[in-house]
Amino acid sequence: MEHPTQLAQDILVPVDGNPSAFDALALACTISRRNKGTVYAVYIIEVARTMALDIELDADARGAETILQQAEQIAGEADCKIEGEILQARDAGHAIVDESIERGVSAIYLGVDYKMPLGEFELGETANYVMDHAPCQVILVREAAGGVAE
Amino acid sequence: MYVIIVGGGKVGYYLAKELLAEPQHEVLIIEQNADKCERIAEELGDIVLRGDGCEAATMEIAGFGRADMVIAVTGDDEDNLVSCQVAKVKFNVPRTVARINNPKNQEIFQRLGIDVTVSATVAILAQIEQELPTHQMIPFLTLGGGLELVAVKVPAEAQVVGSAIKDLLLPHESLIVLLISPDGAPRAPTPETTIAIEDEIVAVTRRENEDALRAVLTSSA
Repeated sequence: MEHPTQLAQDILVPVDGNPSAFDALALACTISRRNKGTVYAVYIIEVARTMALDIELDADARGAETILQQAEQIAGEADCKIEGEILQARDAGHAIVDESIERGVSAIYLGVDYKMPLGEFELGETANYVMDHAPCQVILVREAAGGVAE
Repeated sequence: MYVIIVGGGKVGYYLAKELLAEPQHEVLIIEQNADKCERIAEELGDIVLRGDGCEAATMEIAGFGRADMVIAVTGDDEDNLVSCQVAKVKFNVPRTVARINNPKNQEIFQRLGIDVTVSATVAILAQIEQELPTHQMIPFLTLGGGLELVAVKVPAEAQVVGSAIKDLLLPHESLIVLLISPDGAPRAPTPETTIAIEDEIVAVTRRENEDALRAVLTSSA
């Protein structure tokens, strides 16, 4: 008997340039390719409310494109094709959940850093929101404590 | 138009819902209560910011600097006043609207430069007064600069019945803007328009001249 994680076809992977996000992407590619699904890599530019949501943020957009290119390269190595998208939103967590609903994905693969801002591990606002509100399965890929595992 | 609503209670929630129905509006609600924020976000989307709408730091984050309108609708008159005043003075927001819970505060809000005040108590009173035959003047709306929009029903015995508008000695800065016949037909007043029994006269006047206007339009011959 196969489990939902093994059956996931379309997967959403938010990428922000951090190694844990790319790890999540690589894992998503492996699963999705096996199930003949699609991997959607999204980069979210958070726009402060002091600016209109549709403002053109050229520097951020260029950075996002570079990261999506890296994502495509990682997907290529896993012999998987991805659909990359740049989104502008007020809050990354909301945008990830909305995007997962809109695309009807079966899972979100989310990379999280190993952060201990107050001496204890914290998941972070975005991951917390996604865990709390995403209608689909959420897989967290946490980087190794103290940095990326060898 | 970027509209910021301070206060995510029932008034704020339904106001935001109405505004969001028009796609040209960008709406943000500022609310302190985490549960209310959660509920608004679940039902209306990512349009809520948790924080104190009276604090300059929250206002900065909310983007008061580019807001076209700030509407303060908390249940606390002082908070509504502070939000609107800071919006006006510090962030140059072109239009501020404040909800007033205690009608006594209406004058001070206007004196302090809030563009529009809305008092639920006054609105309900006006609605009820409309149904009371003993009340001859009904306040409809408070306008800027101490002006009021009022309606007066002309009684059968009034001296003005049969008079032309040009012959009325209205109080200073009072203006008749509309006449409504007893059958509900509206008439735009001209100097020659004559006043009939049971006409409803809609006029703009200064608050201090309300009694004088009522006397002119309703006193018996």
